Amino acid sequence: MEYRLRLAKRMLFNKKGSLIGAVLAVTIGILVIHVNFVIFQGLFDAIVRDISNYRNGDILVTDEADYIDKSDLSVVNWFERIPYVEAATPRLSSTAEINMTKNGKLIEETRIPIVGIDPYRDIRASTVHETVAEGSYVFARNSIVLGSNVARDLGGAEVGDSVKVLVVDRNGEDQIRRFTVTGIAQSPGGQGFDYTAVVHIDTLRDMMKRDGETGSFMIKLNDPSKALEVKEFFLRSFPNDDFLAETIEESAEEQLAGFRSGIAMINMIGYFGMMSSAFAIVTIQMMLVNGKTREIGVMRSIGAKRKDILIIFIFQGMIIGAIGAGVGTAAGLGYTFYAKETKMSFNNSLPLEVSYNWEKIIQTALTSFVLAIIASLYPSYRATKLLPVEAMRTV
Amino acid sequence: MSKIYGQGENQVNALDNVTFSIEKGEFVLIVGSSGSGKSTLLNMIGLLDRPTYGKIFIDGTDTTKLDDNKISSFRNNKLGFIFQFSNLLSDLTVLENVLLPRQIARTNNSAEEDAKKLLNAVGLENQMNKRANKISGGQAQRAAIARGLINSPSIVLADEPTGNLDSVTSEKIVQLMKTMAKELNQTFIVVTHDRQHFGDVDRVITIKDGHAFEGDLPSEVEVLV
Repeated sequence: MEYRLRLAKRMLFNKKGSLIGAVLAVTIGILVIHVNFVIFQGLFDAIVRDISNYRNGDILVTDEADYIDKSDLSVVNWFERIPYVEAATPRLSSTAEINMTKNGKLIEETRIPIVGIDPYRDIRASTVHETVAEGSYVFARNSIVLGSNVARDLGGAEVGDSVKVLVVDRNGEDQIRRFTVTGIAQSPGGQGFDYTAVVHIDTLRDMMKRDGETGSFMIKLNDPSKALEVKEFFLRSFPNDDFLAETIEESAEEQLAGFRSGIAMINMIGYFGMMSSAFAIVTIQMMLVNGKTREIGVMRSIGAKRKDILIIFIFQGMIIGAIGAGVGTAAGLGYTFYAKETKMSFNNSLPLEVSYNWEKIIQTALTSFVLAIIASLYPSYRATKLLPVEAMRTV
Repeated sequence: MSKIYGQGENQVNALDNVTFSIEKGEFVLIVGSSGSGKSTLLNMIGLLDRPTYGKIFIDGTDTTKLDDNKISSFRNNKLGFIFQFSNLLSDLTVLENVLLPRQIARTNNSAEEDAKKLLNAVGLENQMNKRANKISGGQAQRAAIARGLINSPSIVLADEPTGNLDSVTSEKIVQLMKTMAKELNQTFIVVTHDRQHFGDVDRVITIKDGHAFEGDLPSEVEVLV
């Protein structure tokens, strides 16, 4: 082994306290980044996942005008011919007034979002049906699924209760229908239809006097990375229609922009933490240099050049960086594994979308390694400035 | 050469116009009382410090003209050091300490073999794999002698090599240095205030108040200026 590396290693390993301190500093810096990533990126990805699963799919197709008048069957069939497409489903949205008599008392709720769905297609393209904790989905024309918050606001609506729904049609006239509650929807984290009522799309079309019209199409892909490709192919295929198609990133941009800047800030805090660990390394290595003043003098007197001394202490920085990056990455991966296996959730409700982002993991490890080397430059430089005759006077 | 520390009223002439030459193979003692300037002189010859005035020639090279890198190489190739406290690196084994000057010089051919031969010669064949801080003071000083000789230097400089040892061990170290000097025709310059331990040597230079004198006692010597 190269003598400078051997000396660097021995000097460091014989000062176990300093070594542990320096390695811990790097480890903690990396761990902060990993924990931030698991929690905040996991939260972001969970929100993207839920928006995609419940509302927008991987691609959301709408129309420049409010409604799409093309046959939903033709659009769905067109999409489902593409190998990347798992399923497509039409949806129609409006707002409604809902009232219910419970224990002899009439309770009325206004401005409730109401969504019309095609149940047989919807269960393939969306996971909303999985959030129906009690009862079943809207398989009949007169059935309604109430979001858990809507049910609560209606005085505790339950499966089997009867509710009256009022929707204003395209002519401005009130359309009232009676529905039977077949299910209560409650999603973990509240990103689903907890504040919404869900009915059959044909029933809502009738009520809104919009026969054959659709509000949007939700497209679920089996390979979400092909979203842009599919979207562009769709828009090219219907040049004379006024379709709008957006990927999940585009359609949920407003909701996600705030989170993105939040994550960037949290990451920044993590990197500041890493910088602090670099200062800890500077301090610990200065202590090492001070503790080895006499040895540095001896080495200089027997012919070591300033460059040799510099390299010895930079090697120490590299050793600290390598061990710290290794231990920190292992600890970070351990935490990520724990979060994934235990299905860690935010605020005990929204399950985090935990993933191993290898690019980020390698980038963090490399950054901390490089920072440790940079942090060792000043102590190494100081070591080279010691004059041998004065260094050897140090006891 | 001269060496002056401080300025103005605080100026101290540590060495004042000292001139002498030493021939190859000579065993030279530099003696003097504490603070006389003998260690300063050794630091100048060892290129650990620079004279304020004057020049030092080693093997015909004017060492005062060398830059820092060349001085390091010169110290590594031409000079061997033995210090009062041995100054072995405690993080290395005895063998690794002896090998160090050769590794710094990057001339690793037969380095380990040479180091082991030297350790045998100084009687440390059974201690070579021990950590330097696990051997006795006398053994450490023997290892330091081996380290000083590993690069076959032009001069071995020893600063109070027995200063930290008991009288029996000191005697052994002195004999070892003399033997090595004779066997290897090696020049030794030894600074000591412990004249009687060294007995007969080739030359003695006495330093007194920054001046150098040839011989043992200032009253009997010829001033070397």
